[in-house]
Amino acid sequence: MENSLIQLNRITKVYRMGGEDFTALHEINLRVEPKSFMSFVGPSGSGKTTLLNLIGGLDTPTSGDIIFCDESLGGMSPDQRASYRRENIGFVFQSYNLLPVYTVYENILFPFLLANLKESDVRDRVMSIVDQVGLIPQVSKRPSELSGGQCQRVAIARALVKEPRLVLADEPTANLDKENSYQILELMLDLNKKFDAAFVFSTHDEKVTKFVRREIGLEDGYVRWDKRRNGDGDFE
Amino acid sequence: MIRWLIKGMLRDRTRSLFPFIVVTVGVALVIVLVGFMDGVIMGMMDSTAHLDTGHLRVVNKPFYDEEHLNPMDRALGSQKITGDWLRANSDPEIVWSPRIRWGAIMDVPDERGETRSQTPVMGIALDLLSQDSLELKRLNLAESLTRGRLPNKRGEILVGYQLAQTLALELNRPVTLIGQTFDGGMATDNFTVVGFVRFGIFAMDKKMALIDLVDAQETFYLDDIVTDWLGYLPSYVSFREYDRYRSRLEFQMKTLINLHPSGWAKDDFPIVVSILDQRNIRPIAEKFLVVRKFIIGIFLFLMVVVLWNAGILNGIHRYGEMGIRLAMGETHSHLLLSLVTESFVVGLVGSVAGCVLGGACTYALQEIGLNMGDAFAQSGLMLSDVARARLSVGGFVRGVIPGLTASVLGTFIAGLAIYKRSEANLFREQEAG
Repeated sequence: MENSLIQLNRITKVYRMGGEDFTALHEINLRVEPKSFMSFVGPSGSGKTTLLNLIGGLDTPTSGDIIFCDESLGGMSPDQRASYRRENIGFVFQSYNLLPVYTVYENILFPFLLANLKESDVRDRVMSIVDQVGLIPQVSKRPSELSGGQCQRVAIARALVKEPRLVLADEPTANLDKENSYQILELMLDLNKKFDAAFVFSTHDEKVTKFVRREIGLEDGYVRWDKRRNGDGDFE
Repeated sequence: MIRWLIKGMLRDRTRSLFPFIVVTVGVALVIVLVGFMDGVIMGMMDSTAHLDTGHLRVVNKPFYDEEHLNPMDRALGSQKITGDWLRANSDPEIVWSPRIRWGAIMDVPDERGETRSQTPVMGIALDLLSQDSLELKRLNLAESLTRGRLPNKRGEILVGYQLAQTLALELNRPVTLIGQTFDGGMATDNFTVVGFVRFGIFAMDKKMALIDLVDAQETFYLDDIVTDWLGYLPSYVSFREYDRYRSRLEFQMKTLINLHPSGWAKDDFPIVVSILDQRNIRPIAEKFLVVRKFIIGIFLFLMVVVLWNAGILNGIHRYGEMGIRLAMGETHSHLLLSLVTESFVVGLVGSVAGCVLGGACTYALQEIGLNMGDAFAQSGLMLSDVARARLSVGGFVRGVIPGLTASVLGTFIAGLAIYKRSEANLFREQEAG
């Protein structure tokens, strides 16, 4: 059996809403392998984002445990979870969430500054990934001067620059047109191979489904299906 | 990281310009207000000290106890020995000047030598004729003359300009002072009126006359005797220091008291009083300090409230940024620290700008002053007509501390909301944003 990058053991998440309990996830058991390229799909309210929050250490489960590389997230303090995110996770958001006053270069540099690294020590790494996402001509531009697709490339570069082991992408193509969506997905697939990082998407975009190697269907907080592609590229 | 933050601040004016303006204006206002208040209170103290009390005053206790009666027979003898001792043994910053307070009837004769008008006057005798006398400058007499000239020989008198009007005095005409000698006899002497002086203090303009110290000693038989030794401290010494100087001098004076020069009467006992102990000035000074603290407190509070709100607006403006930073693994405390660092930089730069602006305004108020003549005209207080600010290091400190505190505190209070923000909603918020 292949080692797990992430293992979810009987994860339940209950929110208290308007004085009543709402169970967003019901005893989810899941394993995410290293270098995965997979998606959570399902309608709104199915629990996709909650699952990403829990895996990303942004939230804690009501019950159950999440194991990341043999380490339980359950016993971590908020600062330890911040450190876990800083060191292991890259985030890509639907609306890019670039820092508007900084250039492409500075946005991608930021994760290193959070890790107290000197700019002079990481400049080459930043420029290398800028090159890989094809934004060298735009490196000194600010987000307002970029197209949506270019902004999402910057977000991907920022998520990957520190070579995290897991990239969590929440609806990464939702704000992009068809052509840009395909370009972004191809880029991510390419980077998935180059960087050995697992990519986990939450999406209901069928275009994403065409690219992922594994698809987990969620509905009302339950896993309804877990499909993997076979050697022919079809879902089993 | 700090470079990165500063770069962001310079590019995003909304997060730096408004707090910068608030801090600059706040600091400048505090400096100007404190400078102006310091200037007014110190101006009042200096006016009072120069004309009447000195910053420190050595006076015979029996005279001081009955001062309202101006009992010249209880003035302090051995002027030369006492003066020499004070100059040699007291704090070298103190400049000593002997004075005689006198009171007399001023009699104005007509052409025939008959009394035309009379009025009681209060007078000061001081060194007007010595080459090295500091008294002329101290009382700013040359600039205060409304008519005539300063005395340049014995037997000449300067009169308050309103007193001159009341008595219809003319220049270079004689007046007679009728008073009491040291030993209780009647003293009369003629003086020539050579100048009318505007002291800028209503009570003095209406009742005051100045004669030379030696003239007074002859007229009132005060041979080697003065009523007061007035000590003057440099302008940089705050009135809060006066008590310390007084205590030290009091301690040093024990030697002189034990020496008991031969010109002193048996029960003569010189004491030291500061200006704060006279003319009811201490309560005024204490109230002034309270008011000053109050004003600084109000400004601090207002700046904190404004900057707090600016911090909240800034937080809303940068909500997405905060969210992404938290998601990327920045801790709440680090994020708050970076916000506080930003606000500290803004506070520092704003404070420097505020110091320049406030310092320039205060300097202008110090040099030009505000003419408050009409407001002060009918007051009996020893206040100069022109209210001037006083630029001091303390004023800058009192401006900068609230500037920096407000900036950091305002942002800190606003930033505390970050602690309440749940990372769990980040994805949803980012989507919404």
